[in-house]
Amino acid sequence: MSLAWFVRRLMLMVYTVIVVSILVFAITQILPADAAQSLLGENATPEALSALRAKLGLGDPTWLQYARWAGHVFTGDFGISMRTSLPVGPEMLMALSRSLLLAVSAILVTLAVAVPLGVVAALRQGRLTDTGVSLIAYLGVSLPEFVTATLFALLLADTLHWLPATGYVSPLENFGDGIRHLVLPVLTVSVILVAHVMRMMRSETLDVLKSDYIRAARLKGLPERTVLFRHALRNALLPVVTIIALDVGYLLGGIIVIEEIFAIPGIGRALMVAITTRDLPSIQAGALIMAATYAVTNTFADMAYAFLDRRIRYD
Amino acid sequence: MTSALSIQDYTLDYVTSAGPVRVLHDISLQIGPGEVLGLVGESGSGKSSLAWALMRHLPGNAREVAGSLRLGDIDLQRLSPRELTRIRGRRLGMVFQDPSTSLNPTLTIGRQITEALIQHRGLKQRDADALAIDLLGHVDLNNPAAIMRRYPHEISGGEKQRVVIATAFGCQPDVILFDEPTTALDVITGARFLELFARLRRETGVAALYISHDLALVTRVADWVAVLERGRLVEQAPAADIFRAPRHANTRALVDAVPRPERRLVHDKPRDQVLLAASEIEVQYGSGGLFRDAPPPATKKIGLEIRGGEILGLVGESGSGKSSMARALTGLARFSGKISFDEHEIRGMRDMNAAYRRDVQIIFQHPDSSLNPRHRIDEILSRPLKLYGGQLGDIPSLLDQVRLPQSYANRWPHQLSGGEKQRIAIARAFAARPKLVICDEITAPLDVSVQAQIVELLLALREETGTAFLFITHDLNLIRQIAHRIAVMRRGEIVDLLPAEDFDADHVHPYTRELMAASPVPVG
Amino acid sequence: MRFSIGESAMTELLIRLMRRPQGFVGVALLALIVAACLFGPALAPYAPEKIDFLGRFRAPGWQNWLGADQFGRDVLSRLMVGARSTVPLAVIATFAGSAAGAIIGVGSAYLGGRTDEAIMRTNDAVMAIPGLLMALLLVSTLGNGSGNAVIAIAVAFAPGMARVTRSAALNVRNQDYVKAAIARGEGAPWIIFREMLPNVMAPIVIESTIRVSFAVMLFATLSFLGVGAQPPASEWGLMVADARQYMHQAPWGLIAPSAAIALTAIAFNLVGDGLRDALNPKDER
Repeated sequence: MSLAWFVRRLMLMVYTVIVVSILVFAITQILPADAAQSLLGENATPEALSALRAKLGLGDPTWLQYARWAGHVFTGDFGISMRTSLPVGPEMLMALSRSLLLAVSAILVTLAVAVPLGVVAALRQGRLTDTGVSLIAYLGVSLPEFVTATLFALLLADTLHWLPATGYVSPLENFGDGIRHLVLPVLTVSVILVAHVMRMMRSETLDVLKSDYIRAARLKGLPERTVLFRHALRNALLPVVTIIALDVGYLLGGIIVIEEIFAIPGIGRALMVAITTRDLPSIQAGALIMAATYAVTNTFADMAYAFLDRRIRYD
Repeated sequence: MTSALSIQDYTLDYVTSAGPVRVLHDISLQIGPGEVLGLVGESGSGKSSLAWALMRHLPGNAREVAGSLRLGDIDLQRLSPRELTRIRGRRLGMVFQDPSTSLNPTLTIGRQITEALIQHRGLKQRDADALAIDLLGHVDLNNPAAIMRRYPHEISGGEKQRVVIATAFGCQPDVILFDEPTTALDVITGARFLELFARLRRETGVAALYISHDLALVTRVADWVAVLERGRLVEQAPAADIFRAPRHANTRALVDAVPRPERRLVHDKPRDQVLLAASEIEVQYGSGGLFRDAPPPATKKIGLEIRGGEILGLVGESGSGKSSMARALTGLARFSGKISFDEHEIRGMRDMNAAYRRDVQIIFQHPDSSLNPRHRIDEILSRPLKLYGGQLGDIPSLLDQVRLPQSYANRWPHQLSGGEKQRIAIARAFAARPKLVICDEITAPLDVSVQAQIVELLLALREETGTAFLFITHDLNLIRQIAHRIAVMRRGEIVDLLPAEDFDADHVHPYTRELMAASPVPVG
Repeated sequence: MRFSIGESAMTELLIRLMRRPQGFVGVALLALIVAACLFGPALAPYAPEKIDFLGRFRAPGWQNWLGADQFGRDVLSRLMVGARSTVPLAVIATFAGSAAGAIIGVGSAYLGGRTDEAIMRTNDAVMAIPGLLMALLLVSTLGNGSGNAVIAIAVAFAPGMARVTRSAALNVRNQDYVKAAIARGEGAPWIIFREMLPNVMAPIVIESTIRVSFAVMLFATLSFLGVGAQPPASEWGLMVADARQYMHQAPWGLIAPSAAIALTAIAFNLVGDGLRDALNPKDER
């Protein structure tokens, strides 16, 4: 991995965050919300309002407001919530940590389930196992999170009473209970990911098995086991890094719905609350943090891929 | 004495939705110990199917109808999968067409060569490593210990093919199958590979089946040559005889189609007036940027002149910049420098007006990609007529001109063969009534017999129209038959620019001499 | 191979599509959905808003084939009528998003060089905002409602489609027939619309078809979250949201619209995959 490539990739990440911040700021600017009004409440005098507006710079041109906001964000200051009058930054980062627990667990579950199933389906192409896996995959990618969440809750919590239906307990405070509360949301958010990764894994494996170098390995007289594990699997597994990284986008979107349904105080729920209450600084912070998470994940995934697969061309 | 490899009355079908299709009819071939049999055939002759049958790697729809395949005293068709892994690589090795795809991109060279040694010769990793280093040194690779640690993308195509051949010889098999091993390599690299093969053969006494489409090449490496046509063996003869006295009509046609420099096809002289003069042409792809160096220019300020009615050959290996030159002259690549055409001066793409674009036409290498798959033939041919003035009623005569039936006007490109598509591309170029036609490797993907027909057609069209050609190719023998003058390019520079008849003289550039030595001329 | 050429080619494509079981099931499901969208209100046994307090939470049976909800409204009738407020909107949103994406993608590939790089880097950056988040942000700005949800989904889809189209177009751009057209001196409109676009259509159509299933799901999700279709519409996502409170008394109220969403998504997925196979006859010997 050349240093120049590394630096370029990091610059691309910074560019992504800048574009996202402009976009988020632009969209939220159009929101019909008056920061001064919400800060001072309904009974504020017009004088107080205009004084605060001037102080907040609400009359300034948009680009200046953006520059001021971006400058503050750069130093870690996301502003004061209009709803709670508390600083937005620490609250959002706390929420993000809870969401990350959910997201990382979901990715681990996905890897553990989807990769072996995808490989097995490819090896038994056209047979019953393959058809079964394909059917599950079709069903999985066709169920929106709110449907899966509701059906799982109906079955595992309300009917069988195996798991708590909603709520969040930090695993740091009560490990067992924390995990029990995590199972349903993780299961739900994993369904689409598992289905998608399984399909990709299947087609990657099939492609690799058709390649010339697999044929060459067979014709060298290597046993099938060696051909499969040493030559085929390794190459089929590599793209999964990229696939998972791109799926983080779905994952983050899914988290918004799932945290809402299961009442988990993560960043998704914080965003939903911010959107329904038109809490501008919180919307901006939440959206930016989410997109930045995606950008950072993808950057790391690209670097991991470049490290694992030396063929990558640095352009 | 038993043969090393024996094929008896072998018949093979592929089952398709339209019923079984016979790909091999009653093939009988013997290869004695230490003997090399060359198997020649054009695409679709079934030569690769025979190789897959021998390696027991036939596609699922193959049906072996009759005959036997024996390696020494082993009946290949009766081997169990377990026994097969002990034969493949160990007793019957194979070298593939494209070394860049036949090595696993994510394993080191060392791993890929030692795994076969460990598997077949029961060596420990350390001994296998030592032997592999020996083997790599023996195929003339510099610093074999370092190569062992590299990945396939870190070494060149020629080096990869050496690794593949070292792996094949490493297990000391009785017979090695070579499936077009030099086709994917450059001319000079390919020639070095053949020298290496000849040496290894002398040293080890291995028997080989050498499959190729190139008759001239096969006569140089093989003791015996068998000619396969549409699944039938039409002739078997000692390599030295096949060119001198081909018995079968098909073989004779194949022999006649092989380009030989001494047999000139063009006898006239070009006009004196210069049609196109290019000078200081530099093509640069991609620019440098932040943290990124610009690649070296594809052509380094080179110039050439083409006279009216002249055929100028432009020869070089891949990456020499010859196609970039074609792109610059047709406005497909940004360039610096100057082109004078018919007293009109051009310094960039913008200066190329409709008249220039009409007068200078280009024909591309790959017939599959040069015709839009979503346009019918008549629409394809109508574009130059609409752009440069002409009647749509001319389409039938355009098809006549390239010896295709007029009914082809209604067809889609995918309904045509490769040679027919190339004829359409030629018709499209000549529809503009050009003064200069640039042919960019247009014969490279075609079989020799088709190639000969296309060259004949181009010369006939030139006879009718007096058009000049810039003929770009890597095939020195072919270009020496038809060009008035030949330019030799290497790494973006023209190293030689000589009349075709001077190529036998002493004053050619050393690189040109090397290129000539590497271009197989038929033996006999 | 020959898409958008003529009627016979379309028929041939349909035959190829139906030849595989997945394609057949997909087309059959799709036909059912189209029928529900066209004739749903006419065929529905009850009016979707018809309240029947005696029939509250009635289990599926001969009176209400799929049961009744908390107001005694017939679930089947609501589903059949609801098809209209879900599927066509998802198709429109996908179409708009794909069209915008296709123009950006083909244009970027045609322009090439630095312009292409700048456009695509920015496009990729926009893709860092998850689709649902983008849709939520837009809907919260534009205001709740189906129409705004359609716009939001279209905008959220455009960058992804631009990326897919651009890579297909870049591939076509490097084909010799495009180079031949440039060398011939053809104008940009001819090259983009006659040489490139017909060859990029196949991947666009395949990708768009599959994306309709995401649009159906996204649209239902927005309605579920209360920012898409508004009550008393019988949009499927909204039906799920309404039925959640009563899932003990009437699980059918929850399961029926969930199944409708899933089946619609599966249908578009199957047809999209089927088209990919039918338009790509590479495995034929």
